[in-house]
Amino acid sequence: MIVGERKPFEELKQGLNGYKKVLILGCGTCVSVCMAGGEKEVELLASQLRMANKLDNRDVEIKEATIQRQCDREYIEPILEMAGECDVVLSMACGAGVQMVADLAEPIPVIPALDTRFIGITDAEGSWSEKCRACGNCIIGEYAGICPITRCPKSILNGPCGGSQNGKCEIDSNNDCAWALIIERLSKMGKLKDLEAIHSPKDYSKIVSPKKITI
Amino acid sequence: MEQAKKLLQEVGIEPERVEMFNLGASDAPLFVAAVNEMTERARTLGPNPLRREKVA
Repeated sequence: MIVGERKPFEELKQGLNGYKKVLILGCGTCVSVCMAGGEKEVELLASQLRMANKLDNRDVEIKEATIQRQCDREYIEPILEMAGECDVVLSMACGAGVQMVADLAEPIPVIPALDTRFIGITDAEGSWSEKCRACGNCIIGEYAGICPITRCPKSILNGPCGGSQNGKCEIDSNNDCAWALIIERLSKMGKLKDLEAIHSPKDYSKIVSPKKITI
Repeated sequence: MEQAKKLLQEVGIEPERVEMFNLGASDAPLFVAAVNEMTERARTLGPNPLRREKVA
């Protein structure tokens, strides 16, 4: 899933300065799972803004809505009328959702409430980690299901580097060395010999942004 | 509770206005102590700023 993190409250408050009618729009998919931009987070942020506005003697109307996905036109269209009645939309989706809403709600300004951080997994309650760089040319199958592009800070394709210490990464000793994990798993798979193959540099010419798929 | 306190602090409201006490149904003395503590805190902090107009 796409993992996001809510921006600092003060930054959001500043961004909404001058607007009298605000729609806080949540997204019920990825950012809901990572507890950053779902229905509950919309309610919390709305409550915070109402309290802050009252303390500042500002008369601002805060509306709330959460849709299934902000990256799909069909879910956004039903709330466009509500958005049109507001001065600004504060989107709690990932960057993709924010842009889709901005396209459809034009000319209503759409402000992001989150920082979109990465594509990752849930490690434990309240803890997520990056697993995929969305590079568009997946090579995980050659590395025992562990992505060296994402999980090695140096994105080394022929590792490990000299900084791997006791299974930990020299960049951050709290992180496992991706290459130590790759070697360990290849051993368990009985495929350690695969490491003898020299992997040539990734063909980045195929990775052109913005990426697009049409079927 | 930590999250609730953080949210209040971000807004500009004293986080110590909210607290959670774990009490058993038979813990009357602890309940009294908790109520007294929160009453004292409320007195020290003054009226809830969000209800200032009503107090005035």
